[in-house]
This record gives sequence, structure tokens and C-alpha cells, in this order.
Amino acid sequence: MLFDSPAFFLFLIPVVFLYWRLNHRAQNVFLLLASYFFYGWWDWRFLALMIGSTTADFLIAQKIVPAAQNPHRRKWFIFSLVLNFTILGIFKYFDFFVGSFAGMLDNLGLHHIPLPLIRIILPPGISFYTFQEVAYIVDVYKGRIAASRSFFDYGLFISLFAHLIAGPIQRPGHLLPQAQNERTFDPDRFFDGLMLIFSGLIRKCIVADNCALLVNAAFGGQLGPPNLWVVLLGTYGFAWQVYGDFSGYSDIARGCAQLLGFHFMVNFRQPFLAHRLQDFWRRWHISLSTWLRDYLYIPLGGSRLGERKTVRNLFVTMVLAGLWHGANWTFVIFGAIHGIVLPLERFFSPAKAKPRAGSVPAPPTGFFALWARRILTFNILCLSLAFFRAPSLHAAVEFLAGLSNFAWRPEYASAFFLLCLYSLPLFLIDLHLEATNQEYPFANTSYAFRTALAASAFVALGLFSGSNLNAFVYFQF
Amino acid sequence: MPSSISNSRHPAIRYGKILFAICTALAISFELLSDYLLKHHSETYARVSQQYADALRVRPAGPGEPMSVLMVGNSLLLDGIDVDRLQKLTSSQLSIHPIFLEATGYYDWLYALRRLFQQGSRPQVVVLGVGVNAFLSNGVRQDYAPLMFFDLKDAYDVASDLKFDRTATSNLLFEHSSVFWDTRSVIRMQILRHTVPPCRELFQLLQPQQAIPPEPEFDALANPRLQRLRQLCAAYGAKLIVLVPPTPASEDAVHHMTLASRRAGVETLVPVDPAVLSVHYYQPDNLHLNSEGAAIFTVALATYLPRQLLSRESIGSPQ
Repeated sequence: MLFDSPAFFLFLIPVVFLYWRLNHRAQNVFLLLASYFFYGWWDWRFLALMIGSTTADFLIAQKIVPAAQNPHRRKWFIFSLVLNFTILGIFKYFDFFVGSFAGMLDNLGLHHIPLPLIRIILPPGISFYTFQEVAYIVDVYKGRIAASRSFFDYGLFISLFAHLIAGPIQRPGHLLPQAQNERTFDPDRFFDGLMLIFSGLIRKCIVADNCALLVNAAFGGQLGPPNLWVVLLGTYGFAWQVYGDFSGYSDIARGCAQLLGFHFMVNFRQPFLAHRLQDFWRRWHISLSTWLRDYLYIPLGGSRLGERKTVRNLFVTMVLAGLWHGANWTFVIFGAIHGIVLPLERFFSPAKAKPRAGSVPAPPTGFFALWARRILTFNILCLSLAFFRAPSLHAAVEFLAGLSNFAWRPEYASAFFLLCLYSLPLFLIDLHLEATNQEYPFANTSYAFRTALAASAFVALGLFSGSNLNAFVYFQF
Repeated sequence: MPSSISNSRHPAIRYGKILFAICTALAISFELLSDYLLKHHSETYARVSQQYADALRVRPAGPGEPMSVLMVGNSLLLDGIDVDRLQKLTSSQLSIHPIFLEATGYYDWLYALRRLFQQGSRPQVVVLGVGVNAFLSNGVRQDYAPLMFFDLKDAYDVASDLKFDRTATSNLLFEHSSVFWDTRSVIRMQILRHTVPPCRELFQLLQPQQAIPPEPEFDALANPRLQRLRQLCAAYGAKLIVLVPPTPASEDAVHHMTLASRRAGVETLVPVDPAVLSVHYYQPDNLHLNSEGAAIFTVALATYLPRQLLSRESIGSPQ
């Protein structure tokens, strides 16, 4: 069920309506069943996998709590990690690694060696719920949180439909207590949830889906062979598409959560206003970047073990972040570009004063210096996104090779105009949010004003939404 | 304690309800307005609904009457055939009833023909001309077709044929049931065309082009489709002819299509060899025939279609 489909709203409205008429325990059971229905809407077979994986981690967590005095605690912990990453590995990466191995053998002259390929469809959201389960197991093992005693509470933490398919990846310490404790109906937050849903739909249906038309044409060859203009249209367009798409999804997810009395973490904070790549990763897909920081980068040693190991840790983290996005070498290169540029940033543009842990060096103070850095950061990002979007490494290199060709066609002017038309509103909203530090535009204005704004958004959605339902880009992850 | 949201007098709830009411009212207005615009201002709807209504009245020819031909296809025929001229040139032998809807392909016409037959249309010959790409495409037109060509069960069957997931299926059902949901992309296009005129050329460019697969794959894809169409037509006593309109550099595709049709027991008609038409005969989109190209194609069709039909003794039986 896509968040921007009519079917989703036919599901959401009765769920919210019924939900607030139940008591806490019944709410959790009802919401868990509704979430399983939501997930099973795609393919019921994958539901068994998710329930099985959830159940296994729920049971293992009981055995690894620090107070359990269980001599096999560590073994159970390792077993859980192996189990989770094996499931993810088989469903997401098995064919990729086998295929890459076959390609390597082929290059070595060993042809026609039979290798097993399972050719299975990727279960929706598997990367997201696996990361949540791993975070839960690690946090329980480290004693940061208590293991849940109720399967319904834990199941809801993993499977709540709002975040199930494409995040934001919820941290156990934040969401699990919300599932465990009684939730009270807060009208203000409920209304904010509605506004977030409208904001998300605008981002997805107007910005992302319309940019996708241009991007698909640029990468698909309909705009002619790659040249400077096609590469700019393709990469800039894709940047706005993927941002509108994923931030839109996150907004709708957060909005739905708020309608149900939950609170999800903010996942995007004006990422294209970042003044360096490090800053970008503190604004983009924050739930993933903080997960990687806390469960991978810091356990690897973070920046505590000297400059060389910091460079290594950054590179490993970013390459794995790239691979998390998909089983393709294009995603590895996407991550590697970030893994190379981040240390270079540290080297060429170190902070004047050592920043506090978890913060980025202050932005340049001058207007032009700040915007120059922002534009540079955006263009580096767009370069890496060419790999993210292209179907293969060869296609990405061929696409970027077009940068040396300047052939112009009159249709490009219309394409750039449309790209500006679709991305400019989001850019202006980001400037506004950056200046006001609000969660969504006009969050502090009157209810009447926001109601009028939402009604206008409804009209805009009716008239300017992209023509077809497009699956959210991050669904494939 | 069960919570309730209905009794609250908090302004957030009051405005939430107002917003819900406004959105409901807007949705109803959109639906009514789109219905009005469709029925009173859409040239495509007016043309296709008129053609569809005419096609429903088609019956087998009596003795001495011209043979009834239902000709269906997409913009390649719409732009490529001067129907009045074709009718004039063939009036003594054929009675041609066209239905042309742009951007349609195999599945649109399979279900449109099925519905036409079920509703009583009885042509002696069905001529399908959508071009090779559209014949092989896996999809249906998301606007107009669900509303005009499918009933509710057809929409389910189309979704099943195309292996749609439940979301895509439900979307197709909405497109069938709601005029606004069906035509929203048309409305958006009209707004863009009026506000950003050069977009017309751009949007023609943005249409994805499907690559023609090599022969074994081509046959595997085309053969069952041709068989299914032939059986459908044969079940209602009609003969199927696949008309292949010229498109630039489509010689190989035409060759593959002709071979696949022969294997499926379906006649093909290629009135103009695409190799003989230079770019001079195409519109700037390099796909559709211009008026000069259409004149050549129409005359060729008027020459070869009656010849192909009248050279056969039995109508309705596959070759």
C-alpha cells in the first residue's frame, strides 16, 4: 500500500478512527494487526518472514538481558546478529555477491561455472526492520534498555505501519517506551500530523513524481545521448526527486504516527543547505546516519583512534551505507565517493576549533562563502547520485562522460524550466524552515491559516500530482 | 480508559474537522467538474465515445453490402490515416468504423474489443494497428481507457494479466470508478500546456521508448497475444488483421511482427514499407506520419486492405 494511493487513505482513516476508541492493550493489538495487514497487502508470504524474524529477536532478547545471568548470553547475542544479517544477506545480497563472483571468474577465463542464484524478490522494508531489530538486540545486550515482556509491544515497535516499509528507522529507546506506555490523545499533535501528511504528499506527488519524469528521460536516453545539459538535468533532477520522495515519505510516516499518538524522529533537515558533506549527513536520512554512527562507526573506533583509523572508519561506514541502499556496485561507488570526500573535507577544511562531539564545524560566516560551500557540496552530492541512479557502473560512467559534450536542444530549456518549477517551492520551503527551525512550514501560525494552507495543498495535489503512482524510491531498500 | 476524539472542543479538532469537510467537498467538486469537463470539453472523449457508440452498431454485411470493418488503434493510425478519404476510396467494398485512442497498446484493445463484442458489436473484420512497440508493451493507458474501455471485472482482469500488485490494482479500479482519478493527468497536462506552451514538445520527448526484443523473445511475447486476439475475434465471427503502420527505422520490428503473426495464424498488413518513407514524411517527433505521409499511407491502405480481405473466401476463420 503506497502512502500516496487512495487505498492507503481508505485504510488509514478507519484505523485512526477505531484506534482511539480502544484501550491501550487493545490499541496495540489492533495496530499490530493493522500493520500486518498493511505489510501483507504487498505479498502475504513476506509477512511470515517478518513475523518469524520479529519473534526470534523477541525470544532471544529475553536471554541476553544483563540481569539474566545466562552463561550463553554472548552466544545468543552473536546468534541474533548472525541470524538478522544472514536473512538480510540472503534476501538482499546473495545474488549480488554470487553474480559478482561469477563475473570475476569470467574475467579470469573460467566460463560457465554453475553458481546458485536464488532470484527472489526483495521483501519490502527488510533493511529497515532488520536495522531496528539489530538496534534492539544491541541495546538490550548493552543494558541500555530492558527487553520487552510483551510481544505485542515489541511487535508494534518493529512493525508499526507508519515506519515499516521505508523508515524513519526508529531507535528502541525512543519508540519502544511509546508502544509500552499508554498514549494520550493530543489534539495539537494530531493536527500537526495532518499537516505533515499534506507536506509529505506535496513533496512526493508534486516534486518527486514530476522530477522523476525528467530524470527517467535523462537517464533513459529520451533526451538524447548524454551531454552536459542532460547530465545536469538528470543529476539535479534526481537529487530533488529522491529528496522529495524520501522526505515526503518520512513526513507522511511521521504524520501518521502523530495521528496515532506516537512521535517519530525528524529524518530530514534541509539537506541541500548543507555547507559540507559531513553537514549533509547530519541533515539527510538522519535515522540511518545516526544508526550507522552509533552501531558501526563508533564501535569501529570512530575518530578516537587517530587520523588514519578515522579515515578508515569513515570509508568503511560510508561504503556499507552505500551497500545498505542496494545490492549493486553503483551503490558501493556512491558510498565510496562519500567515504573519500568526508576525510578530504577533514583534511582541507578542518574546523578552526575542535567541535563538540556530534556537531559539525560552524558554517562560513560570509553570505557568498556560505553559498559557495553549499553549491559545491550539492554538486559533489549530485556527482555521487549519478551512480546511485544509474542501473550499472558502466551506464553511470557513460552518463557522466557526457559532461564534455555541450550539444544543446531547444527542449532542454523547457526541461530546466520544469525542473525549477517543481523544485523551487521545496527549496523555498527549506530556506524558510532553516530560518525558522520549524518541523514543517508555518507550524506556528494559526489553525485557520494552516487549514487554508492544507486545503490549498489538496487542490495543488489534485491538479499537479505526477500522473502515475510511483513506488517510493526507498521502498527498494 | 478508551479515548475519544469526537467530543473534544479543542480548536485543533474543530479545524481538523473543517479541513476534513473541505477536502471532502473539494474531492466531490473535482469529481463533478472533471465529469463536466470530460463530457463537454474533451475532444478525445467526444471522439472516442462517438466512435465507440458507432462501433457498437456494427453488424455483419448483408448481401451486396460492403464488408463491416472495425479499425482500432492508437495515434499512429489517428495521425496516419485520413479516415474520410479511406472510407471514400473503399466505400463500395468496405464499411470502416474506426476507434482511435492515443497511447494505447495491446491490452487496451484486447479488453476494449472484448467489451465491444460482449455489448453486441459484430464486425466481420477487426483491424488492429498500434505499432510494434505498443503491441509488446506491458501496460494500459491510465486515463480514458479504464473509464471508457473496461468494466469493473475487466479492470480486475487487466490487473491480473499485467501482474499488478494490490496497490496498482486498486488504483486501476479507482481510475475506472472516478472520472477525476482517471483524468487527473490529462487535466494537469492541459494546465501545463496552457501555462508553459513549449512543454508539448518536451512531453513528446519524455515518453519512454521500449526496445524491440530479439526474435525468440519477440515471438514468445507476441505469439500468445496474437493467438488470444485471434481467438477472441473468431469467437464472435470476426477476422483479425494486424495492421503495421510505418515508423522510422522499424524494418526489423515489422519483419519480426509479420513472422510472429504468420506463426500465430493471423494475417498482417504492411501497406507501406517503412524503409521507403524518409523523415520528410514524419512529424517533428519522428514517430507519427505528417499529412503527406498520411496521404501515402491512406491510399496504400485503401489499395491493399480490400484486396487482402476480398481475396479470401471465408471470413472469420483463421488462416
